[in-house]
Formats: sequence, C-alpha cells, structure tokens
Amino acid sequence: MADDLMTMLRETVEDYRVIRKRHGYLHVSVPRERVMEVIVTAKSRCGKNVLQLISAVDRIERDIFQLTWILESTEDASIFMVSADYPREGCKVPTLKDMWPSAVFFERELREMFGIEFPGNPRQDEDFLLEGWEGIPPMRRDFDTLEYSMKTYGERRKREHVDPRRLIAEHTGEWDTPVPSRKEKS
Amino acid sequence: MYCNKIPDKPVDNEKIWKKLDDLARANSLWITAYGTGCGAIELRPLHTSRFDMERFGIAMRPTPRQSDVLIISGYLSVKTLKRVIRVYEQIQDPKYILALGSCTIDGGMYFDSYNTINILDRYIPVDVYVNGCMPRPEAVIDGFILLMKKIKEGKAVGWKRYKENLEYYRKNQREIIRNWDLPDYNW
Repeated sequence: MADDLMTMLRETVEDYRVIRKRHGYLHVSVPRERVMEVIVTAKSRCGKNVLQLISAVDRIERDIFQLTWILESTEDASIFMVSADYPREGCKVPTLKDMWPSAVFFERELREMFGIEFPGNPRQDEDFLLEGWEGIPPMRRDFDTLEYSMKTYGERRKREHVDPRRLIAEHTGEWDTPVPSRKEKS
Repeated sequence: MYCNKIPDKPVDNEKIWKKLDDLARANSLWITAYGTGCGAIELRPLHTSRFDMERFGIAMRPTPRQSDVLIISGYLSVKTLKRVIRVYEQIQDPKYILALGSCTIDGGMYFDSYNTINILDRYIPVDVYVNGCMPRPEAVIDGFILLMKKIKEGKAVGWKRYKENLEYYRKNQREIIRNWDLPDYNW
C-alpha cells in the first residue's frame, strides 16, 4: 500500500518530502497548492477512505500553521498523513465537506480554536465548544491563558503553608530538632 | 413548559417537626446522575457493590426533579456551567451541592485554562467540598457523612443563600457565560 502511495505522489506532485515512513504508515509534507489533489487521489486511487482528523500546529517561530490531514484505510488499517504549511495571518484552507461530511466538525473546531477559515464550509461560523468567544482564539500561541484565566475567573486562593518543623518547635520549644543519625543510635 | 418567575426569599419558620424533616432528609440523599468532570469516574465504584453507597441511603436518580444533591465532580467548563445552573435551579428545595476535587476549590491543575472556572463558590453555593485530585470513593463517602451531619444540624443552607443572593450569583454567572440565553429562573 505504501508503494502505491509513493507512485501516486511521484505522479501527482514532484516536490513532496517524506517526514516518516514505516510499515503501514506514511507521513509526507507537500506544498499547499497540491494538498487537495493529493487527498482526493489518495481516497480514490489508494483506498484511504476514512478521514481520522484534521489537526493544526501553531509554529509561531516560522509564522505558519502546519495543517495535517490524517487518512486511514479500512482495508488494512494503514495510515497516510499529509501536511502543509499555511500563513498565520488570514489563513484560508479549502474544505473537505463534499468528500467526508465529518470534516465539517473538524473544520469548525479549527476555526474556533485557531481562527483558520474554511470558506466552502457553510457551518464554519457556528459555535462548537466555546460559546460566544470573542478575541484571540485560545489555541494560538500568542494567547496568554494564565492572564486570561486570572482576569476572567479570578485569582486563586493563597495557600497556607504549614511547616512540620514549626509544629515540632511549638511542641518542643526548639526550632531545629536534631535528628539522631544512625551512628549515634548504635 | 416552565415558569421563569424569580423565587421568593426563603422564610424561616421554625416548625416543630423541622428536626424530624432534617433527619429524614439526611438519611435519604438522592443524587442527580450528572457528571461534570473526571470525578464522575469515581462515582461508579461508589454506587456499585464495593463501596455501595446505598447503605447510607444515597441513590442515583435520573432527573433533577426527584433528587436533592448535585455533585460537581471535578473541573467545570463554562459550557457545562450553563447546564449545571439549569439543572441546579430545577431541583426542588432543599437542595445541596457537593463539590469534588481541587479544581472546584481553586482551579487545581487547570488553574490557567481558558475555559474552566477557578472558584465554584462564586457561581453556585457549595455545601461541602471534598479535596483531592480526584478524591477516592472513601473520601466522597466521608464528604457525604459530613453533609448528613450538617443537614441534621440545620447548617446546610446553600439553597437559602442562593435565593437570598440571587443577584450576586447571577452577576458572576453572566460575567463568564458569554451567550447568556437562560430565563430569569429555571423552575
């Protein structure tokens, strides 16, 4: 199955890069103009008929979102992963809703958590997990969760530390109670 | 099909049989079967044969109309808080809240999360906190025994506090629930 995919990749895209390859597992990175083409051919020609997940990684150092489509075959449970880089600002990605209806939900989640737009998806602006969120999407790395949590949900209560040595000192009157070492005991 | 009239302030009428009422209430605590976090897992061993909470008269009920206790078991996201308010306000008086885990006390390990509340007592009145992450079934049973003790002494008055300070709780709830579309009160 992997050989099948490799031939398909060689025929459709020239400049692909294999990130990891094992038995029944192939992860490639392709230029973003050719992603949909690769996915369509993988489904129609190589039997990758299940869309497992669409995931995004915020690589803020390189100013990109790395999107990964994870496809699986029900015949031999082999996995094919396609990655592509998109710019962080004004990120627009084509939708897969016509091939897999379940893609609507993955795309809604990415829209909400990262602010990635899927222009062909009619339900992309519906609330998914966060209801009525405004401002920077929370999974972006320039979003400060601690600051937001302190501002919205209030400060944590301060903890009271009880030092066991202080309890001993209150009881015995000495701060540093000497601990008998093994040599002294014997 | 609901009435959204704001409830009247509770009146303290010391009935002669109040103590008998409290004794009966303390010995038949029925829980709404509603789990909000990871702590819901600890309730399964609690109500099955090993820890067997029915020997204390505690049972699971499928609807808030039949129950007295609501367990907030662990972290509570804002989306769930909205549903919790709906469920809590539908429970008949008197009603009690048992909060499990350090997440409900001060945020716990989710203190910097963008979507989980830090202090539960600001949004709904809590009667007993059980600490731990997560508390084992023994600790939950201990919390129930403390709750029974408080009911018998007449000190578990979270539901009265909620009705008296409804504006305060509503203000806090509205601050964090961004798409507020609940009625004034869910009966």
